[in-house]
Amino acid sequence: MITVETLTKRYGGYTAVDDVSFTVRPGAVTGFLGPNGAGKSTCLRILCGLTPASTGRATVLGRSYAALPNPGRHVGVLLDASAQHAGRTGREVLTLGALTMGLARSRVGELLELVGLSEAEAGRRVGNYSLGMRQRLGIAHALLGDPEVLILDEPANGLDPAGIRWMRTLLRGYADQGGTVLLSSHLLHEIEVVADELLVIGRGKIVAQGPKTELMQATGTAVRSTDDIAFERVLADAGVQTRAAGDGLQVSATPAQIGALAARHGVVLTHLAPAGSTGLEDMFLRLTAADAREAVPA
Amino acid sequence: MTTIESPQITAPKLPARLPEPDGRAVPFARLVHVELRKILDTRAGRWLLIGIAGVTALVVGIVIFTGSAGSHKDLSDFLAATVIPQSILLPLLGIITVTSEWTQRTGLVTFALEPDRTRVGRSKLVSAILLGLLVLAIAVVLAVVATGLCQALRGGHPVWSLDAATLGGVVLAQLLAVVQGVSFGLVLQNTPAAIVSYLVLPQAWSIVGTLVHGLHGVQPWLDLNAATTPLLDASMTAENWAELGVAALVWVVLPLIAGVVRLRRSEVK
Repeated sequence: MITVETLTKRYGGYTAVDDVSFTVRPGAVTGFLGPNGAGKSTCLRILCGLTPASTGRATVLGRSYAALPNPGRHVGVLLDASAQHAGRTGREVLTLGALTMGLARSRVGELLELVGLSEAEAGRRVGNYSLGMRQRLGIAHALLGDPEVLILDEPANGLDPAGIRWMRTLLRGYADQGGTVLLSSHLLHEIEVVADELLVIGRGKIVAQGPKTELMQATGTAVRSTDDIAFERVLADAGVQTRAAGDGLQVSATPAQIGALAARHGVVLTHLAPAGSTGLEDMFLRLTAADAREAVPA
Repeated sequence: MTTIESPQITAPKLPARLPEPDGRAVPFARLVHVELRKILDTRAGRWLLIGIAGVTALVVGIVIFTGSAGSHKDLSDFLAATVIPQSILLPLLGIITVTSEWTQRTGLVTFALEPDRTRVGRSKLVSAILLGLLVLAIAVVLAVVATGLCQALRGGHPVWSLDAATLGGVVLAQLLAVVQGVSFGLVLQNTPAAIVSYLVLPQAWSIVGTLVHGLHGVQPWLDLNAATTPLLDASMTAENWAELGVAALVWVVLPLIAGVVRLRRSEVK
């Protein structure tokens, strides 16, 4: 359980995190989405007591992070996989963590195996690791103390597709056993397959939050037909809002309503599905358009 | 949306559950143990220690084989000789143990596992001091061996005794140097800047203080190197102690206080 209340962080005149409030519930994976520089990492650092907040407060398991005794046993943190001493071996990094938390040394080998780092890889210096290996090591470190809460900043960065799938299943299993997971990403597709809940942040403010299914439903239905131009007129006559999306249409009605309309007017549909990821992506781009560094075509 | 799992990827198992945490903070001794290990488990730390050993051996060799054969080369002479390279190099370990948290960004992990930063700072200080004392103990052993070796190779009648004042002075000088290193690291949070400042600033002050006439009165009170020298041969006078106190306040205590304030306030990124 993570609770953030009216959190604000100012750097001089710049407000990195602006009056942010949210809760992250146990038993679910919460995706923290936002473009680069939106304030995700600052928020997570404040949560872990590494950056002081200007105003507001953040608690983990009902306490401020700093008040957690032996916090590694309660919260698994991966804020930057590259923030490791380049001269230490992977095994040594985990050994230091296990020593601090007071865990048996055997835990290190167990976690190395779990994240798929071989004996030889674990003996190499982290400076020689690829980003994907560092992420695996970082996830192993976060899981070391069997925490109730996981806070992961861009953990999928640098993982190959198999690695991303591996992490997705791992986090799913972890949440299913009652854990609380907060993971950030600037890539929607990484998040939407694993997250149950979404938090979208842009320019330091939370711009959308809620269950993923709800946020995705709100985005409508994607539809393609053999004659989109004709079908668009049919939909418009029926009072359904439409707009071009990709090589089809995105409409503000359920798939069942659209299917019924198509049947009634004899339109041949080639694709009919909840807008899902496309819709969410549009929403994400729209919500964060003001913050995006590139202009988003309307 | 249905995801079709490809058959070759089985669901990863989760790590084994551990017994519930006991609700106690990380014991201080454990933090010291971890910090000691962190000094020694990197190449930088290990090579610095090897370097200290090498330079010490070199200095001992020079003392044995220079000067006239048969001249008195006492245990205290060898001890002073072994301590000098250490007092310069050992504080670098103290610097690195602190600054690497920032330059290698390991602070993200260290301060997430122990959010009480003053406690982390204290554990670093204690671990650096312990290492300093350990190296000093080795230096004493080395000095004994060297004295014996010198007598065997070049003759003479060395004085083997070592009075408490000399030993105490050597220990104090070593501790001051180590704590100064940690302090400079805490203040600057950057390895090259801290090392250069530590090596250059006090020397620069010595030179400036000697050259500028108007500073002659102040100079001995603010020159830590000069103030430490009489410690090593147990020739401290009351005035020496006063000078050492003032110099240590300026070069060791004040940086330590400023460093701890900075440690507590700064953002870990």
